[in-house]
Amino acid sequence: MAGGLRLFTERTGEGAGEPVFSHDEELIHLQPSVAIALGNHSLEAPGTLYMTSRQVVWLSDSDRSKGYAVDFYSVSLHAVSRDQEAYPSPCIYAQIDTGDDDEESDSSDSESNDVLDLSKISELRLVPEDDSQLDILFDVFCECAELNPDPIEREEEHNWIFSAEQMVTDGAEVDDSEWNDVLAPTSSIGYSNGDNDLAHTVLQLQINDQRFEDPEEMDKDSDSANA
Amino acid sequence: MLFFSYFKDLVGREVTVELKNDLAIRGTLHSVDQYLNIKLENTRVVDQDKYPHMLSVRNCFIRGSVVRYVQLPPDGVDVDLLHDATRREARGG
Repeated sequence: MAGGLRLFTERTGEGAGEPVFSHDEELIHLQPSVAIALGNHSLEAPGTLYMTSRQVVWLSDSDRSKGYAVDFYSVSLHAVSRDQEAYPSPCIYAQIDTGDDDEESDSSDSESNDVLDLSKISELRLVPEDDSQLDILFDVFCECAELNPDPIEREEEHNWIFSAEQMVTDGAEVDDSEWNDVLAPTSSIGYSNGDNDLAHTVLQLQINDQRFEDPEEMDKDSDSANA
Repeated sequence: MLFFSYFKDLVGREVTVELKNDLAIRGTLHSVDQYLNIKLENTRVVDQDKYPHMLSVRNCFIRGSVVRYVQLPPDGVDVDLLHDATRREARGG
């Protein structure tokens, strides 16, 4: 599930250019003159920060081949950091879920050779030249994070709501309409592969919720739904 | 939505949020949303020796899916109310 940090090089236009986003992705906020620090590495020359409905993208102003991106669903935590004893510049601090639980090894692994392994970077700092923008960036970050919930999380949460009666009587069609209502706010704002995820979620729900029923029968049901 | 409304009632209270990566953050619950994303204010890291870089953080947004536990103030848990609510939810009400 967690994708971690990755290289972002798709740009168009002259000079530093503009990032190329997919058609169902909306640019929510653009912040010029933002420096970035990955993990324990030093601050990199300023670039431009883009926050879209799906991801955070930072593009170097001077080097067209340099840019990073991380999906919001991979960002575990973000915060405003102002204590200059802990970090010299006020910044947005973010923790990235690398899908690797062994956190201690992250920084050493990524520094052990010359090539930076972006997927192992577990934290980053965004340092805007104008630190009065920090609270705005934090708020936009929150807003975007809320646009990108985990599909898995919704299943778990909604397991609590289904009663025994509902599990027995509800067919896939009934689930569908309910889920459309629940999901509409996110899927209408360019949630990636909205339809696929929806189908996947409903499928998972059937498997999880009707766990008291004959498991073999459920497998058949999911197969036929897949086909 | 039981836990969503339950946590909403705890806004303004002091809680400790333990993440799946073992980081535990204590702070005032500022807000919670339907995905159980949690915003804390006046935060401090429980194990400061292990996570010195988090010392500088005073407020933060924690993604619901990375939360392992939320430790509640003991007097913030109304056991009877919670019993009733879980029964209602179990009946599908």
